[in-house]
Amino acid sequence: MFATTLGRALCLLLAGSALGLAVNAARPDGVRFTKFAPPNSCGAEAAPAGGGVPVAVLRPADVVALCNDADTLLADVRPPAEFAEGHVTGAIHLPCTSSGQAASAAVDRLAGRHTLIVYGDATDDAKVVADELGGRAGRTGRTDLRVIVIDGGFDAWNRAGLACSSGPCPECGAPRSGSAHK
Amino acid sequence: MTAALALLARLVVGALLVVAGALKLRAPVAFATEIANYQLFPAVAPYLGALLPVVELTIGLALIVGPRAWRRGAALGALALFATFTVAVASAYFRRINIDCGCFGTGGGPITALTLARNVGLMTAAALALRFDR
Repeated sequence: MFATTLGRALCLLLAGSALGLAVNAARPDGVRFTKFAPPNSCGAEAAPAGGGVPVAVLRPADVVALCNDADTLLADVRPPAEFAEGHVTGAIHLPCTSSGQAASAAVDRLAGRHTLIVYGDATDDAKVVADELGGRAGRTGRTDLRVIVIDGGFDAWNRAGLACSSGPCPECGAPRSGSAHK
Repeated sequence: MTAALALLARLVVGALLVVAGALKLRAPVAFATEIANYQLFPAVAPYLGALLPVVELTIGLALIVGPRAWRRGAALGALALFATFTVAVASAYFRRINIDCGCFGTGGGPITALTLARNVGLMTAAALALRFDR
């Protein structure tokens, strides 16, 4: 008796699967198996609209004071080579190509902190990652979080002579050699 | 009494599967992304995104309008589906991954203990329908 029920359950599951494949192949907006890209730190498809923490874009001079706050997390979204060359000490590396798991880990590190500062080569590359992280944080109820993008990116920060690794910033630590650190 | 309870459980589970399947079917790529967010088997996420909505519709319709013999099979299928969903949701919950549930397509809200409890409740309802449907 149970074997018959099990057989029918399998029949329904297999029939549904076959029908699902057929429907998916027939519709223009179906999933394309070879082109499907898993979500990453930019997560444009993963993040539902709304519910996220708003992202503010601030000039380097307006951001520098926040570097003195231990409750601030810094995220560098530039490519690995640029990050290796020099970055704000204490910044986590979270380029757009990072996995969704890395983005989740970054949000977990925001527990107990009130500010996330994201910077990239420019404003836009940091903004997409900041939007994703703000969305993920908002969905966990972190509406108190402040998410900031440095306007002009790391170059603007350096040009303004505000590399926070040179200041008394506990997040930034000791200065490093190289153009990124003053 | 048990027959009435089983009928109610069958109709509720069937209707819920039909609604969930229909909602997921509206945006299969977004649903596949929700599955990938669980970080369990990301390689199969696009396939599940394509299959699961129609599987849920099939099982749900069989539960509601199918002949009794097939209803029992559908109840077992629903139980298997909910058991799988519960494992996935529990995995995300205990790993503290902050993702949307994807239970009703996109924007289904974050995974909480309530999501987990709801899935366990649905498993129980499917088991009731399997055991006592007359």
